[in-house]
Parts: sequence; C-alpha cells; structure tokens
Amino acid sequence: MPGGSSKSGGRGPSSSPLPHTVVPPSRPLRPSRYVPVSAATFFLVGSTTLFFCFTCPWLSEHFSLAVPIYNGVIFLFVLANFCMATFMDPGIFPRAEEDEDKEDDFRAPLYKTVEIRGIQVRMKWCSTCRFYRPPRCSHCSVCDNCVEDFDHHCPWVNNCIGRRNYRYFFLFLLSLTAHIMAIFGFGLLFILYHRQNIDRLHAIVTLAVMCVAGLFFIPVAGLTGFHIVLVARGRTTNEQVTGKFRGGVNPFTNGCWRNVSHVLCSSQAPRYLGRKKCVQSVCVQPPFLRPQLTEAQLAAKILDNGIQGDLHRSKSSLEMMESQSCDAEPPPPPKPELRYPGISRGNTEECSLLNNAPPTPTMYKYRPTYSPGKNHTALTHAYANQASQQPGFRSQPSLDRRDTSSDRARGGGSGERREGGREVVAGGIPGYSLGGRSYPSFSDSTVLSGVASRSSSSTHTSTGAIHVSEATTSASFKSLASQTPPPHQTSRNGSLSYDTGSREMLRFSPSHPITTTAPPTTTTILFSIARPLPHPPPHHLLQRESALLGEPHLSPHPPPANQASAPPSSSAPPPSHHHHHHHHHHHSHHHHHHSSSSSISRPPRFPAPHAPLHHAYPYRTRSTDTPLGPSSTSTSHPPNSPHPPPLGKSLSYSSAAAAEMQYRLVRKASAGGMGGGGIQAPKDELIQMKPQSRINGGQALSSTSSSCSAPSSPSHLVSVSARPGVAYPSSTLMQSPTHKTQGGGVKKVTGVGGTTYEISV
Amino acid sequence: MATEFHNLQELRHSASLETKVFIQRDYTEGTVCRFQTKFPSELDNRIERTLLEETVKTLNSYYVEAEKIGGQSYLEGCLACATAYIIFLCMETRYEKVLRKISGYIQEQNEKIYAPRGLLLTDPIERGMRVVSFTVLSVQLEISIFEDQGSGTSSPSSSSMSSTGSAR
Repeated sequence: MPGGSSKSGGRGPSSSPLPHTVVPPSRPLRPSRYVPVSAATFFLVGSTTLFFCFTCPWLSEHFSLAVPIYNGVIFLFVLANFCMATFMDPGIFPRAEEDEDKEDDFRAPLYKTVEIRGIQVRMKWCSTCRFYRPPRCSHCSVCDNCVEDFDHHCPWVNNCIGRRNYRYFFLFLLSLTAHIMAIFGFGLLFILYHRQNIDRLHAIVTLAVMCVAGLFFIPVAGLTGFHIVLVARGRTTNEQVTGKFRGGVNPFTNGCWRNVSHVLCSSQAPRYLGRKKCVQSVCVQPPFLRPQLTEAQLAAKILDNGIQGDLHRSKSSLEMMESQSCDAEPPPPPKPELRYPGISRGNTEECSLLNNAPPTPTMYKYRPTYSPGKNHTALTHAYANQASQQPGFRSQPSLDRRDTSSDRARGGGSGERREGGREVVAGGIPGYSLGGRSYPSFSDSTVLSGVASRSSSSTHTSTGAIHVSEATTSASFKSLASQTPPPHQTSRNGSLSYDTGSREMLRFSPSHPITTTAPPTTTTILFSIARPLPHPPPHHLLQRESALLGEPHLSPHPPPANQASAPPSSSAPPPSHHHHHHHHHHHSHHHHHHSSSSSISRPPRFPAPHAPLHHAYPYRTRSTDTPLGPSSTSTSHPPNSPHPPPLGKSLSYSSAAAAEMQYRLVRKASAGGMGGGGIQAPKDELIQMKPQSRINGGQALSSTSSSCSAPSSPSHLVSVSARPGVAYPSSTLMQSPTHKTQGGGVKKVTGVGGTTYEISV
Repeated sequence: MATEFHNLQELRHSASLETKVFIQRDYTEGTVCRFQTKFPSELDNRIERTLLEETVKTLNSYYVEAEKIGGQSYLEGCLACATAYIIFLCMETRYEKVLRKISGYIQEQNEKIYAPRGLLLTDPIERGMRVVSFTVLSVQLEISIFEDQGSGTSSPSSSSMSSTGSAR
C-alpha cells in the first residue's frame, strides 16, 4: 500500500514549499505522523482482502458474479482516491521570493482587507511564506505550508486537503462509505446463510471483517455527511470549524448546484510547486522605448535622481543612479550586493565578509502584535547589556530572538523557527538591526556616518559584520534592504559609499538617496542625506553616528541640500529625514502610524522617533544651543533632542559649539542627578566628547563605535527622542574618553571638496 | 578573451538593476483567478497604460477559460475516474493546456512589447498565481574592476551595460 510505504518521510519533496529547491529542508522524522495513515491503509486493505478471499467466493457462486465485480470496482475506486488524496499536492503555495517581500514592508500591517462580493475578508500575513494569504488559504502547521483553499489536514491520509485534492478526498469518503456498506451488507448476507456452521473459518473471518466495517462505518459516514453539507454550502472545513461565516454570508458560495459542480467537475487545478521553470531568454537591450513623458515628469526625473521621483517607489528613476540602493522607497532586497563576489573592493575584508554574509538579520516584521512597551524594555535592557560588551551588539541576538518570538505574529510555528534562525545568524550585529529599526527617521546621512565610523573602527570584522548585517538586514527587512547593500556596491562607482581614502565617499550627491553601506574600513565619513532612510539598517546608524561624531571637521564640508553631514547633527538629520521618512512611510508603507508606532516600539532607543520633529531640525534651524539651556535645567530627562543638535552644531561650527557644549555640560552637572545619573552621565560624556572628538578628529569614536551600545544608550533612548544615531554615538562617546587617551594615529582623509578629515584610528 | 567575457557576464548579471513591480490578484469575485487591471504607478513612464491593461485582461480571460466548468472538464473528470486517474499520467488536463497557452502568450508579449521597454513579465504561475510581476530592468553605468584573472586582459573596464534578464 502506498500509504504504508511512505514511512520514511519520502513525501518530503512533494510537500516542500520551497520553490527554488528540490531537496526539502531536512525535517525531523516524525513517525507518529504515519501511524494513522498506516492504520487506515492496513484496515482498508486487510479487511477487503479478507473479504475477497473468504466471503466473495461463496457469494459469487450462490448469487452472482456481479458481487465481487461490484466490490472490486468500488474497492479500486476507494484505493485510487485514497492514493490521490494522500499523494497529491493539495495546492501548496511556494514561498514568496525576497523581492516580493519588499512590497510588504516589515512594518506593514498583519492583515490586509479585501472586498469579495461586498464582504470584507481579511488576508493575513504569513510570516513563514512571506506573503499575504489569499482568501481561503491557510497555513498548515503540520506540513508547514500555505495551502490554497485549505480544508483541513487529514491524519488518515497524512496530507493537507486543499484545492487540488479536495475532490479526491471527497470521493474517497463517498466511495469508502459505499465500500464499507457493501462489505458489511454482503458479510451479513454470508453470515445469514451460514448460521448453522458459524464456527467455520470463513464465517469467523467474515464476522471479524463485519465488525471492523461496522466500527469504521459510523465515523466515516458521519464525516461523509459533514462534507456533503460543506460542499453544498460551498464552505471549507476550516471555515466551518472556525465559524467564519456563522450567522454571516459566505462570499465564496455560488449556489448549491454550482458548488457541487465546482468540486466534482472542475478541471484539475495546476500545482505551483515543482514546475519546471521556463526561462525566457529575452534579450533586453537599451535603448528602451518610453511613453511620452510630460515635461513635469521629465523635470522631476532630472532633479530627483530617484530620491523623490514617484514617491511610490519609482523604480525607473533608478536608472541613472549609480548606486542601486539609492531609492527613496524601500529598496528591493540587496540581492545584487551578494552577487558581486568578483568585484574587488578596497576593503577585502569587507568583501570576504560580504561573501559570507550570514542570512539577513532578524528584522522583525512589525505587525500589530508587536508590543512597543515590551520591546522597548527588552531592547533597553539589551542595550544596557551591550554596554559592557565589545562588539557592542553581541547581546542583541538573544534579545532579538526573544523579541521576535514574543512579538512576532506568527502564521505558523515554523515561521518562528525560521525567523529565529535568521536572528541567530544576524546575531553578530543585532545591535545594528535593532538600531536600524529604531532609527526609522534617520536620514541616510546618519546612517552613512554611522557606517563610516563603523568602518573606521579598528576591527574590520565589526565593519564587515556590519556590512553583512546590512546586507542581510536589508534582505530581511524590506525597507532596509535597499538601503544597505546597494551603496556598498556602488562604492566603486563612487556614487555614495565610502572608499578608503577616496574622495568619492565624500561626495554628496543629492541623487543618492542614501545608503551607504559599506563604510570603508579606515575612513568613515559618510554624509548622505538625500534621503531619509525609511528603515536604516541598524548598523548603519551606528556607524553613521560614530562617523558623525568622529568627524569633527565636517563643518567645512558643505552639507548637501539637506543636512548632509555634521555628525553631531545626527539629531538634525534624523528630524529632517524623519520628514522624509514620513513621506516614505506614506508611500511605501501602508500604515504610517504603524511605522511610527513601530519605530517607537522597535528600537527602544528611540522612544519617539517623531519627537525630534517637534524640535525642528536642529541641524538646520537651530543656530544656538538655546534649547539646551531650558532643557538642561529641566529635571528628569531633559529633552535630549536639543543635545544632539548642539553637538552637531559644535562639530560643524567649530569652537563656539564646543564652548556651548561645555556650558551645557556644566548646567547638566548642576542639574544634579536627574533621572538617574546613568541617563545624564552619558549625555554629559557625550557632550564632553563631542568637543573633544571634534578636536581630535573623532578620535576613538570609531574605535568605540564597536563598543557602542553603551549603557547610556537606553537612557538616551528615553531622553533623546528619535535620535538613534545619537544614542549610539553617545554610547561610543562615553567610551571615547578612555579610548581617546589610548589614542591611535590620526588618519587624514581627503574629502571631495579637498577637505581633510582627521580621524583618529 | 574568454575570461574577459566571463567577467562581463558576471558584471552583467551582478550589475543589472532590477526592480520588481507587482500586480496583485483581484479577489472581488471570489477565488477565481483574476488580476487587477489597475495600472501600477511605477510603470507610469515605462509603458503605456493601454498595453498593460490589455495584457492583464487577456491573461484574465485565459484564466477564466481554464477554470470554466463545462463539458470538457466534466468529461475529463469522468474519464479520470473511470481509469482510476491513471489517465493523468498520459493526458494533459485542460488547465495545463491553457497554462501552456498563457506562457506562450507571455513570451510573445515580452518579446514584442515589454522587452523593448525594459520590462519583463513573469508568468504568475511561478509565484503561485498570486501576483503578476514585472521586472523593470535598467541600464546601469558601472565601472567595475575585476581582479586580474591572469589572462592578461586589463582589469578595469567601464561599461554601460544592458541588462539581460531572464524572466523569473
């Protein structure tokens, strides 16, 4: 019997959801899954065989030959339908590819509503399969697949019953009922005629078969009747059992007759898995035809450089973009990055790291179930833990996993596993991923600077890890994806990125939406700005932050249109970017508030990403440190936002800022232990560091960047609204004094405009 | 030469700018296979609306034809029952026939209409008939430096490439 022979898990490939692979992922062999189907097979075949051997010969002699023939046909029908129900693909959806993911940003809602014949039906996001489940589709936890028109998972056939095999299952039930009735009936006839010699073997066997048949008849008949009703009403078992249409209207019914004919007479639905892909070899060569562009469109294209373009992710505007990643909208997954193994980069380590990029870090899919408060605390703790650790984010992975497991809405258990796995992989840079999320409104510049500073950190590995995490992060998080990897790739082109010592990195082109990615190992200066990073990769932010902080001489660098540089202006870029971010969110994300809320909840560091907006753009508008004055005097947590800007200012504005910072520092000290010294202390240190860093050219910022996630970061998170970048640098700054003393060499990097940046390594 | 070509191949594959635009399913009439004819804004300046809408409408009509419950599908079912479904090993079902027609249609559309505009239409069946995806290909100027493979060819090559895409 086929059912019995499938014990060794040979059905794996048929149920594999992965569209790309033939070999399914190794799943643990679960023999318990095969017990019901084996039992069913045994009873079915065994009983019928006994019937044919012991009962049928006498019946065919004494009644007619039609008896065994009829029974034979019915039995064959039962077997055929049983096999089809068991082995046929029920309509498994292949997992969505990564490029499809980006459309549904990880901050997109858990449910998408669609109207079907006037009735609102919710489509749930399946975290395992990475798409919104079509109506009537459900994810089977046993098979770990989304199945179209999911009816139920039948243990007796050890298979899901879905669109493709429901008909066979239904016919199996019908024919099995008929078969059981026939066996019972003919057995009874035999017994009636053999009442006298009932102790004969034939009679005993027939009695035994009758008992088995009678025993199975009741549940089978019950199930058959149940499914007859379902078919007539046009419902699935899943819908009936979960009471979806209880008291309501079923939008999927077409009337009894049409429902029945649909089940029995429709053409066999195609399978989605295991299709041989026909690769269309279509040669696509430029020049490309274009529809007539309006003048406005042309103007927009020229100016926008993909930054704004159609806010709704105009991919075409990417054409002229050197960097793939530069895109206002959530960029596509960074697949290209991972495809550049052959391209030599300045930073070979980065390259190698990139090649071995671990899977994308876990970027949680922000779904409504994500509880901001919980995460906030969790992350805060995580950050606190990180303070003591070197590569700063080592502790993140566990946190991430925890968070994800707790917060993520899961379509199926397996989804969790997969995501957990990804998190683990990304563990190396969990901080980044977290940071990335927490900096939703951070402009690219922040990210870039952060990245740059990261690269300048002494450890290449951390940088590489960052890159990797970037790449991975972007892959996993739709919005993040585009930002991180592409810049790295385009570094060669000098569009964005940072090249060690190359001037290109210092070039700010408004056309570059951001990103940056791979900060050169040695130098980090990144200023990008053009676009706020909707979901800047966490590590980017970190790097940016550090870079920003580390670049005291950014002031000479003319900030491109927006707040491009000025590390201390990290606060500034975030606010401005935040605005952009808003745009992004509107266009790219379905729920802007979702994003904002998620941003709040996501990175505990940035309690209120939107908050900075209120503080305007310190980078742009604020000319003095006045905000600091009042804030510093306030108790508890004075708004941190003022802090960052002034710092930034100090960086960009030379000594005046430093003096201001000192002033602020003093005021802070006078404020006393507000809100815990922890919170304040780091800030003070931050302030302190800034001038120092400025002087020393960022000294150990880069080196400390790796150890960011200082304990103060949580406090910063609370106080500094939406200054994720600042949080990081602040943490790093805290350490910087120590590092500062250690001093390394001061590296001079020449920028595009001939500016020389000194970075202390 | 070969090495250089190989590098260019790599370059081309790795440097092509591909973005994807998706057209989702239209569920307003239930679970029948239909795709939205709403024009995605990303393709605004790549292709004319009418062309795209016509393509989607034709695809929808193909799917309606595939899922039609009529004489042919009924006979097919009866025949399959009668032969204990062994007939499925030999015969192609109606749906599969229509799917072949669809993929031929898509190939033809790609060659005639979409490839000249730098787009590639993918068969929705590859994604479980959930979306129709357009791969938007762009030309990318890139300066790539390859390691010297020892073939003596100079490494840096700046090229503006056309991306060749294979529909996925």
